[in-house]
Amino acid sequence: MSALIYFHERTHESELARMVAKKKTTTKAKKPRRPKPEGGGRRAQNKEAIRKRIVSAALSLFQTNGFDATTTKAIARKAKIAEGTVFNYFKSKEDIAHYFFEEEVDHAIAQIRDNPRLKKAPLEEKLFALVHSQLEFLTPHERFIGAAFIHALRPASPLGIFSHRAQALRHRYIGFVQELFEESLPKQNSLTWLAPDVFWIFYLGVLLYWQNDPSPGKQNTLAFLDRSLNIGVSLLKQGKR
Amino acid sequence: MADHTHSSTKRALSMASAGASVAGSYIGYLLQRAFLGKERGEARLRSTHVRAARRMRDEMQSLRGPAMKLGQTLSLQTGTLPDEFVAELATLQMEAPGMHPSLVRAQFKSSMGREPEEIFKKFSPEPFAAASLGQVHHATTREGEMVAVKIQYPGIRQAIENDFNLFRTVSKPAQASGHISKAAIDELEQQIVAETDYEREADNIEFFARKLAPLSFVKVPRVFRRYSSNRVLTMSLMTGEHLDSLLTHRTPRKLRDLLGTNLFELFYYQLLKVGALHVDPHWGNYLFTRDGSIALVDFGCVKYFQPETLNYLHRVFLYRGSCESADFRRILEESHRAAGQELLPGARRALIRFSKTFYRQVYPPRPDEQREPFDFGAVEFLQEYLREAKNVFRTKGIMPDLIFLGRAEMGLYQTLHRLRARVPTSRIVKKYLRS
Repeated sequence: MSALIYFHERTHESELARMVAKKKTTTKAKKPRRPKPEGGGRRAQNKEAIRKRIVSAALSLFQTNGFDATTTKAIARKAKIAEGTVFNYFKSKEDIAHYFFEEEVDHAIAQIRDNPRLKKAPLEEKLFALVHSQLEFLTPHERFIGAAFIHALRPASPLGIFSHRAQALRHRYIGFVQELFEESLPKQNSLTWLAPDVFWIFYLGVLLYWQNDPSPGKQNTLAFLDRSLNIGVSLLKQGKR
Repeated sequence: MADHTHSSTKRALSMASAGASVAGSYIGYLLQRAFLGKERGEARLRSTHVRAARRMRDEMQSLRGPAMKLGQTLSLQTGTLPDEFVAELATLQMEAPGMHPSLVRAQFKSSMGREPEEIFKKFSPEPFAAASLGQVHHATTREGEMVAVKIQYPGIRQAIENDFNLFRTVSKPAQASGHISKAAIDELEQQIVAETDYEREADNIEFFARKLAPLSFVKVPRVFRRYSSNRVLTMSLMTGEHLDSLLTHRTPRKLRDLLGTNLFELFYYQLLKVGALHVDPHWGNYLFTRDGSIALVDFGCVKYFQPETLNYLHRVFLYRGSCESADFRRILEESHRAAGQELLPGARRALIRFSKTFYRQVYPPRPDEQREPFDFGAVEFLQEYLREAKNVFRTKGIMPDLIFLGRAEMGLYQTLHRLRARVPTSRIVKKYLRS
């Protein structure tokens, strides 16, 4: 999801950040402010379990009551912890939402990288698998995603598009897509530099389509994704010089 | 909504571009012909046919769905299309572009709620056969049975509806001239849309498994309902050879005659005894074995006939009197009236002519007078069938209920022709006619 929330005009600054982010993704996807498990000790495990409880409670409330109507107090009650404890982990409910979107991108990248069969798959299949794993991750929280879209469009929204955290995540995602393009397309392809950004915008379109797809099992989204990726990749391949 | 429009526009553009490209090939040929000798001109025409046919096949494949169905139907039209076209379009039957494994998984999970590997002991992500609306994968159940899992292309129903909307628009001139009736398009759409419901197909399989049990040479798969849904169909794995593979070896005449006779008997048993017919006759749907058995592997397109239609067929098949008699005319008129259709004089003449020139020849009314089995090896009977059938269509002499029978009949003749089979036609039909 995250897409619209983190989308913004391309700037020199973002280009630079992308290069930095790309470097990071080639090794192991690491996010700016993620808690590091400390050697798997019991304390660390407990902390991680509480964090998961908070996120799960928040998502459940975002889904049923809506993002705006959900308070940190309600999240604490649902997670069966004190409200102060929530603040030990997250600054605000927006912070929880950011964490969720980071999880989504991490999950999708891991799904592609941890699947040995996909290494040799054609580009259109890799991109399909990437977007599909994002959509699968988002499916239980569909209502919240719709609300987050609207929220992100508000100029003063903390979920909005200009926060550093949001940009960093977007750069990491685009950097990963860039890697996929580079490992599948010839180096001299004149469109490779532009394609990840275009893909980002395409992803926004898919997300909107998915949100409004009434077909059983979101059938039409799968068809739309499959056919448009086939066309897009085929155009890219024709663009080699 | 906008996306659907976009999708149908894309499909329309794709069809239009295929049409333009095919037309372009022929314009190029016409220009070059002026400067070529007769022999070189003919060779160039053949290569133009091949180029145009390939282009058309590729576009139909990329569109999948009803466009492919249309291609398959055209591939059964020996005698009306250049041979190069038939050869290319015939490959549509087996070579639809597959869904990649990630799409297969997504589609399976969206329909069954779980990954294929969570349901089956083994599942092959690569398909072993393509169907026009889906593809088929090998799998093994938890109980250890080998099965075929048919998975539908996503969004195919929407694509069919879009294509038919488009088809209704582009066929307006043909509808106005009376070459295609609205009832015919409705019937076509209804049947093809019905093919997208795999639960209905599972019902069809079970129906035919029961009804065809008396025919020992026919094999019908078993449905695994717990591993099936409206977009996934799991069946027992059938074995045998496709027609093309069978014909690549030297097939003894005896076997060709036996398979042809069995195929013919299967057709008329369904039509006259069961009252329902497997009407997707392309040869990808049959598997033949060397002992003469026939396995049926696709029950998506099944036509259940109205009692009035069946009554009509029982009355006109092997009609002993003259086709020009008042009695035969009365049967035609009564039957059309019973089906809610007025039989126009032109249509009546076309039907009488069809009966006289084609059916009398292929199905002599007195089986005991049929000394030799009918030889389907000669191409003339197919050309005659097509000419007469077209005439009946043009004069609106066909009842909508029988549109798919025409298609199935053409498929049967085409397969018998490829087998070069000799079949005691009238003897078999007589066995199943009501006395």
